[in-house]
Amino acid sequence: MTAATPMEMRDRRFGWMLTAPGLALLAAVVLFPILWAGTTSFFDYTLIMPGYDNFAGFGNYAKAAGDGEFLHAAWITVLFVLAVVSIQFAIGLLVALMLNDTERGKGVYYLILLCPLLINPVVVGLMWRMILHPTLGIVNWLLSTVGIEPVNWLGAPDMAFWTVVLVDIWHQVSFMVVLLLAGLSSLPAEPYEAARVDGASALQRFWHITLPMMKPVIAITLLIRMIFAIKTYDIIYIMTRGGPGTATDLISYFIYRRAFVSLDLGEACAMAAMLLIVIAGMTALLWRTMRTAQDD
Amino acid sequence: MASIELNSVSRIYGSGASAVHAVKGIDLKIEDGEFMIFLGPSGCGKSTTLRMIAGLEPVSGGDLLIDGARVNDVDPAERDLAIVFQNYALYPHMTVRANMAFGLKLRGLPRSEIDTRIADVARVLSVEPLLNRRPAQLSGGQRQRVALGRALVREPRAFLLDEPLSNLDAKLRSVMRTELVKLHRKLGTTMVHVTHDQVEAMTMGTRICIMRGGEIVQVGRPQEVYRNPADTFVAGFLATPPMNLFPGRLEARGDSLVLVAEGAEIPVPAATAPGWGGHAGREVIIGLRPEHLAEAPEGPAPAALQLSVETVEALGPETILNLRLGRNGPEIAARLPADGDWEAGQPVTLHADTARLHLFDPATTRSIPRGAAHAL
Repeated sequence: MTAATPMEMRDRRFGWMLTAPGLALLAAVVLFPILWAGTTSFFDYTLIMPGYDNFAGFGNYAKAAGDGEFLHAAWITVLFVLAVVSIQFAIGLLVALMLNDTERGKGVYYLILLCPLLINPVVVGLMWRMILHPTLGIVNWLLSTVGIEPVNWLGAPDMAFWTVVLVDIWHQVSFMVVLLLAGLSSLPAEPYEAARVDGASALQRFWHITLPMMKPVIAITLLIRMIFAIKTYDIIYIMTRGGPGTATDLISYFIYRRAFVSLDLGEACAMAAMLLIVIAGMTALLWRTMRTAQDD
Repeated sequence: MASIELNSVSRIYGSGASAVHAVKGIDLKIEDGEFMIFLGPSGCGKSTTLRMIAGLEPVSGGDLLIDGARVNDVDPAERDLAIVFQNYALYPHMTVRANMAFGLKLRGLPRSEIDTRIADVARVLSVEPLLNRRPAQLSGGQRQRVALGRALVREPRAFLLDEPLSNLDAKLRSVMRTELVKLHRKLGTTMVHVTHDQVEAMTMGTRICIMRGGEIVQVGRPQEVYRNPADTFVAGFLATPPMNLFPGRLEARGDSLVLVAEGAEIPVPAATAPGWGGHAGREVIIGLRPEHLAEAPEGPAPAALQLSVETVEALGPETILNLRLGRNGPEIAARLPADGDWEAGQPVTLHADTARLHLFDPATTRSIPRGAAHAL
């Protein structure tokens, strides 16, 4: 490698000067809290007795790994992620396929579809809490008009989980639609024409042409959606506070409670670090998938 | 094998005032086993016509018949035709073998039959070492062969080729031209080939169908179209450099006819073109191919032309001279042997073979026939 010329040195210096303010800000608001939480996870740090006097090593991690409530929250989160991502993918792909063949009014459909995505999750939670209110909600009123007994949407443990899943689907499904539609509309038309002449039916074209060619886009969409679903917090906070009981106690909300209700910051930080590792692993997978898709 | 017939076939995009007539009620019969070339500039409707035959474009009007059966509403899959696209349209996620096998699998052919057909075609096209590769790992020429192979394994009633050579470099294109002609001779299957390259048209086809603005201008054997272009468009489209076209006036002088153009008077013995006599005294467009100008008199009735050299294009085996007719006459091209030594600005006398002159009506641009004595 040859040494940088004075002009290249000047360019590098100028580049650093331009990025320095942004990097400093990122370090202050992103890097510092992560490092702080990472450090705290190795100490017996509570909000009653804050301090770094008692080094716990991996104690907090071991405690979290053996904590039944934490494992339950992790399990609920896995179920939640599987439910929302799979249902959203099925609906999203179906709508994207239909929209891809639509010529007229595509803009209007887009606008309608994007509306939920533009609403703040807190507002979504509040809105649906009102809509699904057992006595004052419009859904139960509508059901009563056709003679169906009122449903306790957020009060019954089994029902509450699926209600939260449905609200999240309503909120986020258009994200899937938009991403999958972008993928579908970027597919070349010629292989489809070749397949038609080769004798492939619409279903065979979908199975043999669309799905394989969409594989990278589908993988990326699923991964992004999974990463966001794992972190779901606001809807739970507004709608159920993890309840009834622990029926909707997703991991992010559980960690929040461990930190600010149980006041055990050290253990909460250890749990957060474990969650971070899972999400970082998924992000690395996402990055690799995107790189592979680009190479193809 | 199949014959393909188009009766008043049209293709209209849109409706009402904004409707675009891409193909305007064309009539054509492609015989069984023929190699038909659709030739024309971009937007002339040649690809649209091919796609209508394939079933990828709906027919807006008229009847499309394959082997005498109307197929306007028949699905592409049931027409039993194979198409090779300009950009090959290979399935990017499948290997070469899977690309070739796809159509056969869908038709329910047994595994052994599929393998045999692929092996045979791969050998003919020399793509055997590529069978386990994906399209992204192939060069342009290899992809083109695979696309052709995918069509060949199907053993269809007819092959439709939509500018399949246009993405290849000049050398490979020339090789593939020859291979396609050989393949056609070997298989004897009907082929319809769309191109805007007149070299492909002249060298490959049994017949050429020249299109312009959604209409067929002329259909005929390559040499026939070259020798007797139906109008100034065909005359100016075929061959490089194309036919020289310049305005003039046909005058009768005694028993002879004289073409008077800016900078030249070209006598034409009336006996060589009895059909032109009736046009004496009228304005005409004179057509003279660059290869019908020579340094020494040629043909039964040569006429000397005084010209000055504008530019010299020495191509190696031959030289193209761009010349000015007379002092201020039109610019015309001449194709001469390479052994001459010309310079820009140099005056030169060349002899036009008047027996190979063409006249066109300026109002209709149609050719004015020479009549019975037309001798070439």
